[in-house]
Amino acid sequence: MDLLDLIDLTQSVLDGVLFGATYSLIGIGFTLIFGVMHKINLAYAAASVGAAYLSLIVVSHVPVPVVYLVAALMGGVLGWLVYLICFRFLPLSNPLATLMSTVGMLLAIEELISHLTQGMPMNYPAMFQSANIEIGSFFIRGDLLFVFLIGCVAMVGLTQLLKRTRLGLATRAVAQQPVAAQLCGMGINSTNASTFVIAGLLGGTAGAMAGAAIGVLSPLLALPLTVKGLVVTVIGGLGSIPGAIVAGLIVGGAENLFQFIRGVSERDIYVMLLLFVFLVFRPGGLFSPPGGRD
Amino acid sequence: MDFYLGLAQVIGIHTLLGLSAWCVLHTGQVSLAQGGFFAIGAYVAGMLTSMWQWPLALALVTGAGIACVVAIAVGFPAMRVKGLMLVVATTAFAEIVRLVFFNLEWRIETSEGVVGPNGSLGFGGIRYFPSNGWSAFEVNALIWSLVGGVLLLLWWFDRSRVGTLWRAVGEDEIAAQSAGINLTATKVSAFGIGGAIAGLAGGVFAHYTTHVEHSNFGILLATFAIAYPILGGLASLAGTLFAVIFIQGFLLEGLRFLGEWRSLLFGALIVLVMLVRPDGFLSRALWPGRVGPRRQQTASPSVDDSDTARQEGSRHA
Amino acid sequence: MKCKSRILGSMLVTTAALAAAGAAQAQDKALKIYGFGAKSGVVGIFGQQSEAAMQAAANIINKAGGVTLGDGSKARLVIEYLDDRCNAEEGINALRRIASQNDSIVAIGPTCSNVAEPVFGILQKKVGDSSDSGIQFPIYTDVAAKGGLASISQWSFRNVPSEANMYKSIFDWVKTSRPELKTFWGGVEKDFAHSNATYGVMKKQAADNGLEVKGQSEWLLNDINFSNQVREMKRANADVVAISAHPFTTCGVLKEMARQNVKPKLLIGLTSSSSMETLQGCGAQAEGLVIPTSFAPVNDNAKSAAAAIQAINPKYNMDLHNAAAYENVFTLKDLIEKQKIMGRPDTLQADRQKMREALAGMTQTNGLLGAVGRTGDREAVKPYLFVQAKSGAWVVAHTPAQ
Repeated sequence: MDLLDLIDLTQSVLDGVLFGATYSLIGIGFTLIFGVMHKINLAYAAASVGAAYLSLIVVSHVPVPVVYLVAALMGGVLGWLVYLICFRFLPLSNPLATLMSTVGMLLAIEELISHLTQGMPMNYPAMFQSANIEIGSFFIRGDLLFVFLIGCVAMVGLTQLLKRTRLGLATRAVAQQPVAAQLCGMGINSTNASTFVIAGLLGGTAGAMAGAAIGVLSPLLALPLTVKGLVVTVIGGLGSIPGAIVAGLIVGGAENLFQFIRGVSERDIYVMLLLFVFLVFRPGGLFSPPGGRD
Repeated sequence: MDFYLGLAQVIGIHTLLGLSAWCVLHTGQVSLAQGGFFAIGAYVAGMLTSMWQWPLALALVTGAGIACVVAIAVGFPAMRVKGLMLVVATTAFAEIVRLVFFNLEWRIETSEGVVGPNGSLGFGGIRYFPSNGWSAFEVNALIWSLVGGVLLLLWWFDRSRVGTLWRAVGEDEIAAQSAGINLTATKVSAFGIGGAIAGLAGGVFAHYTTHVEHSNFGILLATFAIAYPILGGLASLAGTLFAVIFIQGFLLEGLRFLGEWRSLLFGALIVLVMLVRPDGFLSRALWPGRVGPRRQQTASPSVDDSDTARQEGSRHA
Repeated sequence: MKCKSRILGSMLVTTAALAAAGAAQAQDKALKIYGFGAKSGVVGIFGQQSEAAMQAAANIINKAGGVTLGDGSKARLVIEYLDDRCNAEEGINALRRIASQNDSIVAIGPTCSNVAEPVFGILQKKVGDSSDSGIQFPIYTDVAAKGGLASISQWSFRNVPSEANMYKSIFDWVKTSRPELKTFWGGVEKDFAHSNATYGVMKKQAADNGLEVKGQSEWLLNDINFSNQVREMKRANADVVAISAHPFTTCGVLKEMARQNVKPKLLIGLTSSSSMETLQGCGAQAEGLVIPTSFAPVNDNAKSAAAAIQAINPKYNMDLHNAAAYENVFTLKDLIEKQKIMGRPDTLQADRQKMREALAGMTQTNGLLGAVGRTGDREAVKPYLFVQAKSGAWVVAHTPAQ
């Protein structure tokens, strides 16, 4: 491998890692909901893409950062809706029922998006599109860096929320000991609902960032983001937020690495094998979540 | 009439797929890998009849057999993980299978021309049924005798010791282990049998569509596979059949008059069913006062791999 | 009271007049042409526009008196379109449903190539082969364009552009009109049958016309990150870049190219991307993209067809896909009259045979851009031209000699 290839390889991995911030955001959403409710919300990525679509309603009236904000807010609303429809009224002891209801929700959201947009890809605004930083022969995409930074801000914000606020306290308490938390006067339903809203805010941001990074939104995005998000969640450790962050970056980088080495047809095979390696050697994930919960 | 026969074929194949997931779900594991075994059965059986002119029965059995072997091979490491991790691991496995077939190119010259899987362009020309003059009725007879056979087999398992072992592992792993049940053997056997059934279904699928490609075997198919037993209720085998008829017969074909709204309603109706009957259609008596299924408590496989929840007694009926 | 009776009276008169006028125009007979394709889902717009085009054509035919049946009577054309959601099993179900109706003699469809291949596969392969239990029903395709499918069965016919011809022509044109372009780089969506197959054609024609094929970038239908692929493209620095992909990934790649400042001297695209979707998703980045197509509103026929579909629903456009459906309805009407189809339940199988023979016997059909030739394996040789994306619209770049 000559120097040119090596530079390309590094560039590839760098791009992948920056893009992986989007995966991290989706992974955090999955892991947050799983950590608190011990249920998978398969409709999460679809709701995130849906939130990005909803933010397109205001795109011609407001500056771009506000569009992202609207996406985040819409994500929160959709998150709450998903909670209400798919989780609130289903018995806690039956995880299969919520699995299926979120699958139904995923299909419904995807179909609704296709229906309303006639399946046409929609242009999504990106910031810093032309701002590219060149360091020697390396080329860092300005907008991906922005996505990465927004991701970091969101993650820090989330961690602060969980550690410093009462809501965060309630969330962690319900996650660790639901019955005891109830005895202490924390409402399970309202706490769960707020968890979904918070995860939804994050998801809306993720959807917006994915749209900004690709440049177009399409209903085709929902399923692959779901799968990647789940892979990231598992590699990072179920219920662990720092795990999801690191795992997202790893998956993003690994994806590009495999693509560079083996081409696009085999890329996903290797990503899946990477998952298996983690499952075999480190089934708890990168970081086991705090509090002794798995 | 031909249309109803065709629809019955689809329902039959999907019932087999649902039953394969039922086996695995019954032992408490949520597996999204059934689509992968379906694919293996489809490609293997399709290749055997179209490229080497094997008789159908032998090709189907070989497809099912290979799927079973792969299932057992995957089953051993897969049983190390539980819950959500198993879901993701099986999804990953199914994706790997799909991608392998995406890349598989193996074409040979036969009397009918060049046949064989052509990578991403798919695998067409599996014309065993029409070339040999099978009528829609005969294909149906084949499919439904397979369905009947599998139902009988699973019903017999259910009533025998095997079924007890599966249910025990499904309801409470720790208790089962304490009772001396070999967890790994039980789970892997269920996985293997499920894989064989899915492989059988896949083999027939390839023949009645005459053309398969990697996109047929994606995550959506795997999701449908587990949707059938979950919607139908794990307590009864009939539930799966009922769910397949509901989804394929009613939702997909029966609601055609709704036009574009059909797809929109599809997801919404699944959510509705889960809200109204979280344990599945046939898990409780349809009307109060009528005789219901034997068991009150259904073994709900856990995607929650925390033991504390179970200790809290959160498993209420 | 007087007022009321006057109103009632005038209503009665109007109704009677309408009924009389209606009777004069409406025929008591109806002949159905079925269609099937993707009406919902991501590619739902294709099926919807095909149905609208078929309906527009039927409206014109009915206004002119309808179609003449074998016994001299007139019938109005009725269109019924089934949704297969671009799914093989549903496509097969849809065809079986159509074939089991007692008023179906032919169907137009499907939309997706991955549905067409299995659907054609369940048809009887050779006419008259009594050992073949395949379905005996003629299908005349409008959209599904993966190469060579009609040869699967003698009951399957297609009216889709021949990519081999079009791309041969476009690279011929490149050679003669832009001789300074020497090198070629391709981009291909590997997991979609149509794009993958067409890329093979593009590459071959480019090489045959003297361009040096320096390589290709590959991606998948759902991919979202094209930085690797575009970087390879940038390194190759080819004069001509051809992208064989559908609008979503085409736009993703074009945007990445804009980001990495990759500006080839000529951009060539996939036939199916010459639609509104590409311009909607990335109009700015698609500027200059040249695509061969079998429809553009360049003559009166084409323009009136485009207007007719807008009359059905203003949000629909006429493009190369549903233009074929439009053409098909007119072709079928001519064939029905020529073959003296009776359209009765008791003549059903005979009618289907007649339709098949008529379709097989066609040497030429009427297309909106000109006469459409037929090949020995039931495909079409459609007139085409090259369009270019300019300021958010498709304009004609060149009309090659054919």
